[in-house]
Amino acid sequence: MTATLTPEAPAKRGGRLRRHRSTLVVGIGLAVAVLVVLLAGGAGVRSAALDPDNPDPAGAQAVARVLEDQGVDVTVVRSADALDDTEVGADTTVLVTSTDQLGQSTLDRLVDHTRGARLVLTEPGRGPTRALGLRADPQAVTFDDAVAAGCADPSYSGLAVAVDDGVEYDVDGGCFRGGSGALLAEPRPDLWLLGAGEALSNDQVLRADNAAVALRLLGGRDRLVWYVPSLDDLVADDGVSLQTLLPSWLRPALWLAAVAVLALMVWRARRLGPLAVEPLPVVVRAIETTRSRGRLYRKAGDRAHAAAILRGAARARAADRLRLGSRPDPDTLVRDLARHTGRSVDEIAALVGPTAPAPATDHDLITLAERLAELDEEVRRP
Amino acid sequence: MAITGRVPLLLLLGVAAVVLRPEQGTVWLWVLAVLLLVAVDLALAPSPATVVVERPPVGTVRLGHPASTRLLVGNQGRRRVRGVLRDSWQPSAGPEGDRHRLALAPGARAVLQTTLLPRRRGDLRALGVTVRLRGPLGLAARQRTRPVPGTLRSLPPFESRKHLPSRLARLRELDGRAAVRVRGQGTEFDSLREYVRGDDVRSIDWRASARNRTVVVRTWQPERDRRVVLVLDTSRTSAGRVGDVPRLDSAMDAALLLAALAARAGDRVDFVAGDRRVRSRVRAARSRGVAGTLQEAMADLEPVIVEADWAALAGAVTGLGRQRALVVLLTPLEPSAVEEGLLPVLPALTAHHRVVVASVRDPALEQLAAAHGTLDEVYDAAAAHRSLGRRLHTAGMLRALGVDVVDADAEQLPPALADHYLALKARGLL
Repeated sequence: MTATLTPEAPAKRGGRLRRHRSTLVVGIGLAVAVLVVLLAGGAGVRSAALDPDNPDPAGAQAVARVLEDQGVDVTVVRSADALDDTEVGADTTVLVTSTDQLGQSTLDRLVDHTRGARLVLTEPGRGPTRALGLRADPQAVTFDDAVAAGCADPSYSGLAVAVDDGVEYDVDGGCFRGGSGALLAEPRPDLWLLGAGEALSNDQVLRADNAAVALRLLGGRDRLVWYVPSLDDLVADDGVSLQTLLPSWLRPALWLAAVAVLALMVWRARRLGPLAVEPLPVVVRAIETTRSRGRLYRKAGDRAHAAAILRGAARARAADRLRLGSRPDPDTLVRDLARHTGRSVDEIAALVGPTAPAPATDHDLITLAERLAELDEEVRRP
Repeated sequence: MAITGRVPLLLLLGVAAVVLRPEQGTVWLWVLAVLLLVAVDLALAPSPATVVVERPPVGTVRLGHPASTRLLVGNQGRRRVRGVLRDSWQPSAGPEGDRHRLALAPGARAVLQTTLLPRRRGDLRALGVTVRLRGPLGLAARQRTRPVPGTLRSLPPFESRKHLPSRLARLRELDGRAAVRVRGQGTEFDSLREYVRGDDVRSIDWRASARNRTVVVRTWQPERDRRVVLVLDTSRTSAGRVGDVPRLDSAMDAALLLAALAARAGDRVDFVAGDRRVRSRVRAARSRGVAGTLQEAMADLEPVIVEADWAALAGAVTGLGRQRALVVLLTPLEPSAVEEGLLPVLPALTAHHRVVVASVRDPALEQLAAAHGTLDEVYDAAAAHRSLGRRLHTAGMLRALGVDVVDADAEQLPPALADHYLALKARGLL
């Protein structure tokens, strides 16, 4: 029973390496992935919707590229300062995407700077429209079919826009009118609100006449300034989203916490050795066979058999009690029982006699069992 | 390998770095740095193979009594080791405090003790020793499990030992050491002594009285040096549980009490246990330690799901000697098993020996037979009456063959069997 363990021979080392090969591969793969993300992160690809440098389905790189090919001078600006530095004149269209990032101050600077130019805002919400002093309530809607232009402006005549979700502006006039307003509204001269922002996205631009509408709306002037506003430009007084109120380190800290939780799980999940197993004994209840025999009687509904057994057992007990030997004559037994209990011979014979009829219903069987038990009690009483 | 709780803490410390430089890249750099530290720590951790573990034999203990096992641990490496060691046993061995802190200087040795409280009869085995050694930084650890065999033998509890004193007192009455001296069949001449009032006048030895000035009586003692053969059935029928105890364990209890009693009465006790084959055999134990010897022999017996081969068991009984003996068959009175297996070989046994069948009765059967409230219960009662009837019939057949049947509840069987033995002894029927 004494076992001595010597340090393992080095020959086993190779085996251990092979055994943990999958773990090694996964670990190295993870490390490489982390490195790649670290090195490649922030290399000019943007992820915001309708961003001119975003090649994803939700981006708008396609429209930007096509406009450039059509000879439009596309300038992308990503901050209010950069916009201020860009020359904007009457030959310029200023397109603003990510309008939810606009605040009062950036909007004011935008309007100030783009005086005289054509200004296109994609899907501005209630905040920007109010800030601009427009009476054009935005209403989010979903569409099943393309929406025809149906407006006086000849540049869109005969065209149709197809988008899944859009924003309709409750104004007079405007093009691509739906139930609650127009998808393309011009509430003020040279200020366009484009409710069908999806029409510019990479994956929807080819639907219906989306491309034509985009080109005519944005390619009408020689230059296009594509302004992607940033929350960083907002000043303290602006009404801003919750995100800007939170400290900037919160998101990375949450990531770190998630990794820490993962490490916690790894720490707690590692058992100190394998589970202790118990060779389990066979558990058989001795009464099991009898119970299953009872269930068998029940299933077969064999009242006659059950009643015969119960009567036989009652006779055997009574014979034992009245000291009539192990195999008494049934008639003698019935007679003696009747004398002992003071009941009539017929009644006793109908109850325990070997020729007594089998119970007709389940209820009769229960009654029989009860009356046999009563009889047994009476016989026991001296 | 394993990591310690310091790793998540260290990762959380990175929040400070993130506050100073709030960028996503900081997170990954920090995680990478921690991973690197863990890897370095793991590489520097001593190998668990440098810790040598030995286990001296554990020994034997009665079921329900505490035992302990020791591990001799030595550090054969050249570096100090720190970590945890777990001595893993099967759960029914009831190990307590099986995790030990390890801190060994090079060449140092230590003794680790684990308390065991067995909850099951039989051989309880150690499953393995896991050693987890931390690296110098306490971040990562190397872990290995290896077998360090050990067996704790847990003996049958012998609950019925409480009945022994009263039965021994009855034995002494038979023995003639008490005031009442009985002369009768089955007793043999012991000695002569002076007559005192109260003695049976029939036991006066007139010839001896004639030579003396006083009246002399003969004293008698019960016959001695008889053989008792206990046959324990470990077949499928013994696996059935009455209450929560297998019939086999109750039968063991009865066998132990009878063996202890018979050994005190000066009889020799043989023991055979088996089902299809003989699993355990003890010959001619007659000292006071017979109960211990039998407990040892019974310790690792478990019910087996096979039919008993009574011809083989009867052969084993015959093989123990031709001398007339009291053969006690400890087997449940299961009609089909008894009628098909036991009955054919009984005549050969009864021809040479006095045979007693001791069976554990299931009180649940009578409760089942007495219930008659619902339809299910009535059908169950019918089934129970049928089972009882067949048991009675089987017992009758056994008695017809000259076999005594002791059928009692699990609690009552040991004293009932002992009483039956005393009755046989008093009547000299051994």
